[in-house]
Amino acid sequence: MRLAWGLVAPLGLAYSAFFLAPLLILGVVSFYQDEAMTEFGTAQWRRFLLDQFHWKVIGDTLLLGLKTVAATLLLGLPLALVYRAASARWQRVLLFIVVMPLLTSVVVRTFAWIVILGREGLINRLVLDLGLAAEPLRLLQTELGLVISLTQIEMPLLLLPVLAVMVRIDPNVLDASASLGASRWRTLFRVILPLAAPGIAAGCALVFASATTAFISQSVIGGSRLVYLPAIIWQQAMVVAHWPFAATAAISLLLSVSAVIAVIATAGRIAAGRVEAPTHG
Amino acid sequence: MSMNRRRALFGAASLLALPAPLRAQTRGSVTTAIYPGAWEEAFRDHVAPFLKQQSGVDLEMQPLFAVDQIAKFSASRGVPPFDVFVLDPGPRITGIERGMFDKFDASRLSNQALLPSMLVDGWGVGCAAQVVGIAYNPKRVPKPSGYADLFKEPWVSKLGLTGFGTTFGTVSLIEIAKIFGGSEVNIDPALVELKKALPKIAAVGAPAAMPGLFQQGQCAVMYTNTQTVTTLKDRGVDIEFAVPETGASAFFTTMHIAKGSENVANAYKYIDTTVGRDIQAALQKPPYNFVPVNKDVPLLSGLPMKSLDDMTKFVTHDWAKINPLRAAWIEKFNREMAK
Repeated sequence: MRLAWGLVAPLGLAYSAFFLAPLLILGVVSFYQDEAMTEFGTAQWRRFLLDQFHWKVIGDTLLLGLKTVAATLLLGLPLALVYRAASARWQRVLLFIVVMPLLTSVVVRTFAWIVILGREGLINRLVLDLGLAAEPLRLLQTELGLVISLTQIEMPLLLLPVLAVMVRIDPNVLDASASLGASRWRTLFRVILPLAAPGIAAGCALVFASATTAFISQSVIGGSRLVYLPAIIWQQAMVVAHWPFAATAAISLLLSVSAVIAVIATAGRIAAGRVEAPTHG
Repeated sequence: MSMNRRRALFGAASLLALPAPLRAQTRGSVTTAIYPGAWEEAFRDHVAPFLKQQSGVDLEMQPLFAVDQIAKFSASRGVPPFDVFVLDPGPRITGIERGMFDKFDASRLSNQALLPSMLVDGWGVGCAAQVVGIAYNPKRVPKPSGYADLFKEPWVSKLGLTGFGTTFGTVSLIEIAKIFGGSEVNIDPALVELKKALPKIAAVGAPAAMPGLFQQGQCAVMYTNTQTVTTLKDRGVDIEFAVPETGASAFFTTMHIAKGSENVANAYKYIDTTVGRDIQAALQKPPYNFVPVNKDVPLLSGLPMKSLDDMTKFVTHDWAKINPLRAAWIEKFNREMAK
């Protein structure tokens, strides 16, 4: 046991020094009363929490995360099922395709989406050429466009943990389910998904955390009319230099995102528990 | 970043590899804060080698945004983390108000006579200009005559705009406010008009995204600086610069010596090199497209003035008045524009 503590010490110390300590400082800064940080008080928290606008921004930020999670799940899970059933060779190919976006910087991927979603972009050219619409569709600077791009950008974060649990599912369990008369859909919902729940929950949490804090994608693709918390933090910290208010917004983001992640993790645990239900029933 | 680190390591390694007598010729160094990105690149490629060659002074750079420069200096308590600030007008006023700069003696610059007098004061000197007006795509819209046109068809439905986050955005919105009865300290009329036009406006974007949005045809008219117009034009984008009938706005990026600097002599040498003819000419070329401040440097085409003296006719703004209001303006813009 002592050896284990010893081994964990370097990372623990690094976390304390470079994560916990700055987080603590951030908390302290949020309790400065004024911009020049001369006296303590709760002015910034009152300014943040008593303003309807900020609550709307928090809501929009969390909703953006949830929509991205839903879209990645909808598109990612079928791919994960294909991956589970594929031969080892195809699994390698699929894994490469899944990981590939991670090899490009998120900034590059985001700017590439301007080219795809723009008025004269790929999608609009296709739509106009096929005669599906008379006018170019408005995709950039809309929440729809932002969710589409975030879905692609965050997809590897969902798939990597999901694929890891999918390949560990014992095929005999699925055969057993089939031989006991369960349909394919029933096997999917009562056996495969509950067994994969821990991976799905982990992937959802990663996608959610990443999408809600994706400042570059939010500001470049969403534009300034869609206001999310990261943009407010940036403005206050980097443009206005009002650090106490920026710290307040940052901690609010941290707390609200953590709360939703806790819910996702709990839901994952409950779903994983359901796998036992058929054996009892 | 890793490229920079590699370059810096390579630079350090090659310095160590120099024979001892050559190293001894180094006459110290000077540390400058510098904007990350294009500025850092331009200064690393042109200013640093030229300064070394001309004066034997090593230029060390700390890539920092303006707000970070102010914050880092404030945190240093008497021991400045760098010798020279490079700032836009807003943070420049903050620096003066908080006593962060040494008094500046322009007579120590050999290039003093070549700089327009509006660029030099007792706190520092301008090293690059920004000229702000309206950019438009001549293939999609006619040339607008001024900011008022931006609210009419055919421009309004192709208008892209940004908020108070940048200096160019702030001065443009002030100019718009003036047209509708506002002033340097009252931007509300601009927001009222923008709000009315909002359903038609093509894009409200982050400043960094605007060139991309223009290039992709998302918007065909926007307020911006000549540097952006020149850069996009170099890439083959259909874009022209229009001087609004109320005049183009101008402001300067300025250099200041940090209070308590121990390398004052080298700081003057560095500043003198930066505003000198050779560097200003090099920085005017692509991909940097800076607007030069040295009268000896012939202006390239595409700029709305024939000589630097013409810039005295441009609209300038009093950032001592703007600074205290800007935070509230940014917040107001968020609320008014939010969907």
